[in-house]
Amino acid sequence: MSKLELKNISKRFDGKSVLKDVSLVVNEGEMISLLGPSGCGKTTTLKIIAGLVEPDSGDILLDGESILDVPVEKRGTVIVFQDYLLFPHMTVEENIGFGLKMAKVDKAKRVKRVREMIDLVQLTGHEKKYPGELSGGQKQRVAVARALAVEPRVLLLDEPFSNLDARLRESMREFVCDLQRKLGITTILVTHDREEALMTSNKVAVMLEGSIEQFGTPEQIYKKPASLDIANFFGEKNYIEGTIENGMFKCKIGKFKANHNISSKVKAMIRPEEVELFPKSADTGVLGKVKRKKFAGDRIYYTILVNDTEIRCITKSEKDFKIGETVAAKIDFGNVVFF
Amino acid sequence: MYKWLKPYVLLLPAMMVILGIFIFGLAMGLIQSFGYFPVVGLNKITLKYYREVLTDKTFLSSLGFSFYISLISSIMSVVIGVLLAYSIVQSESKKGIEKVIYKLPIIVPHAVAALLVYNILSQSGILARILYSFGIIGDQSEFPSLIFDKKGIGVILAYIWKAIPFTTMVVYTVLSNINDRLLEVALNLGADRRQVFWYVLLPLIMPSIFSCFIIIFAFSFGAFEVPYLLGPTSPKALPVKAYIEYNNPDLTHRPYSMVINMSLTFISVILVWLYHKSFKLISRYDG
Ligand SMILES: Nc1ncnc2c1ncn2[C@@H]1O[C@H](COP(=O)(O)OP(=O)(O)OP(=O)(O)O)[C@@H](O)[C@H]1O
Ligand SMILES: [Mg+2]
Repeated sequence: MSKLELKNISKRFDGKSVLKDVSLVVNEGEMISLLGPSGCGKTTTLKIIAGLVEPDSGDILLDGESILDVPVEKRGTVIVFQDYLLFPHMTVEENIGFGLKMAKVDKAKRVKRVREMIDLVQLTGHEKKYPGELSGGQKQRVAVARALAVEPRVLLLDEPFSNLDARLRESMREFVCDLQRKLGITTILVTHDREEALMTSNKVAVMLEGSIEQFGTPEQIYKKPASLDIANFFGEKNYIEGTIENGMFKCKIGKFKANHNISSKVKAMIRPEEVELFPKSADTGVLGKVKRKKFAGDRIYYTILVNDTEIRCITKSEKDFKIGETVAAKIDFGNVVFF
Repeated sequence: MYKWLKPYVLLLPAMMVILGIFIFGLAMGLIQSFGYFPVVGLNKITLKYYREVLTDKTFLSSLGFSFYISLISSIMSVVIGVLLAYSIVQSESKKGIEKVIYKLPIIVPHAVAALLVYNILSQSGILARILYSFGIIGDQSEFPSLIFDKKGIGVILAYIWKAIPFTTMVVYTVLSNINDRLLEVALNLGADRRQVFWYVLLPLIMPSIFSCFIIIFAFSFGAFEVPYLLGPTSPKALPVKAYIEYNNPDLTHRPYSMVINMSLTFISVILVWLYHKSFKLISRYDG
């Protein structure tokens, strides 16, 4: 269990810049998420930490010491890959014990440790099975156990849940997070699932096109996204241009109180969940017409047209309005972010 | 209707010829090996020939000799083939000329390979002459007899020369199809390069190596021309012995030849079964 620091890591593949000046600190025993869209360089970052890819510049410190010159097999930074990559010619037991065998841990100790791991990931009864005979969730647990068995200094999880169906994903996520807390292993969880990142980690690093755009607690990232790109990445938003004068935000759809002082042209970011809809008679907010409506079980996604401006909002499914109906949209400006 | 029958019906003419010849030949051989060959007046079914042949010293030494040359040449071909394939994969030379050259022996017929070996390694061969002309040996007869020798070195060398490219090609294909990322995983879990080879790479290609081994073994066990051209007069390889017995002008001798053939067939069947088994392993590894 160690403190991991990335310092200004850069990497190009075939002249194309894949990582740009990536810096990151993961404190001992902490779990952070590395969140970003497909192709932004998440896996490359993990491979560089593990030593499977060499960075062009920058440094990696483990407990304050550079590990750049330490060969892969001695680094103790173990990746659990997205597609598990279990050894097909080994049983569950042999897969889990592989790292220990390579380290020439003696048999008795090895057997004991493998036993513990199998208990830990709840695979009792499957010891003698081959990977081909396991379900996705079971394979995933074998992969996690195989990584944990060598007591890594840093655990690197590369989208470990993305191949699982929704229910299994949730339970595996909880399972792995509990395990991480229990064992206190310094962990980086790579994901492109925003909710997963926010739910699981002490801190979230948002990576876009090879650089880390923001690194903070889940709340900070969600409430105060550092840029429009990050805000966009966290889902569809409403952006309304306007000006702020004397604490009032003036725009096409009206005038609102704003907790913001710069008096210039701004863009207000309004989250769909911060717009509430009422019947016209409620006499609150601004009036608009329902343009689109998408039913999604416990929620309904509406698009409201207010003075030619589209406003997206999410309501509970009890709030049932018809397309073309005039409704009152009340915007909670307390949480609006201005850019 | 009967859609499933269609391919069989369509295949029937070809299958009849192939299976017909195969089964007919086998049945004839089997019947004759039991001493039933009415054309020459042998009418009685008997195990006599089996008893005689299977206890005959020259038969047993032929059997042993065939096993020996096949085993040695197959093992050496496979080992060298694996090493060669591994080094080609490692060197990553994508267009390398060696990739073409090493395949060359595959298209050369076995008989030609035998002649090549003869021309190079016999006491009147190129190697002996070169050594002689450089004065390294005083006389060409001082050159060790590698051809027609009791150790079967000439035969083994010819087989190896033919088989190495084959094993290399098979192993190379299998190796380059192995998921590189499994090797990364192994390294990542603390295995050094040597351990990656022994514990991951080799076990993964083992079933393929094994089936490759069986093919080469079966071929050199059943083939006739190389030991006929390069082998010692005694012991003779089993197929050579079968051929000579078969050519015996005394037709009442035929059952002996057939017993030898049946022994060869029996061993081949065992090899096919082993081959089949190895394929089951390969398919499990894919899972
Ligand atoms: N070995 C390589 N050679 C060349 N380009 C590479 C190599 N590995 C990755 N890349 C490129 O680097 C970029 C980042 O790849 P990376 O695998 O790190 O993305 P990622 O964030 O993990 O994406 P995903 O979420 O889809 O897994 C991609 O554009 C990819 O094509
Ligand atoms: Mg990836």
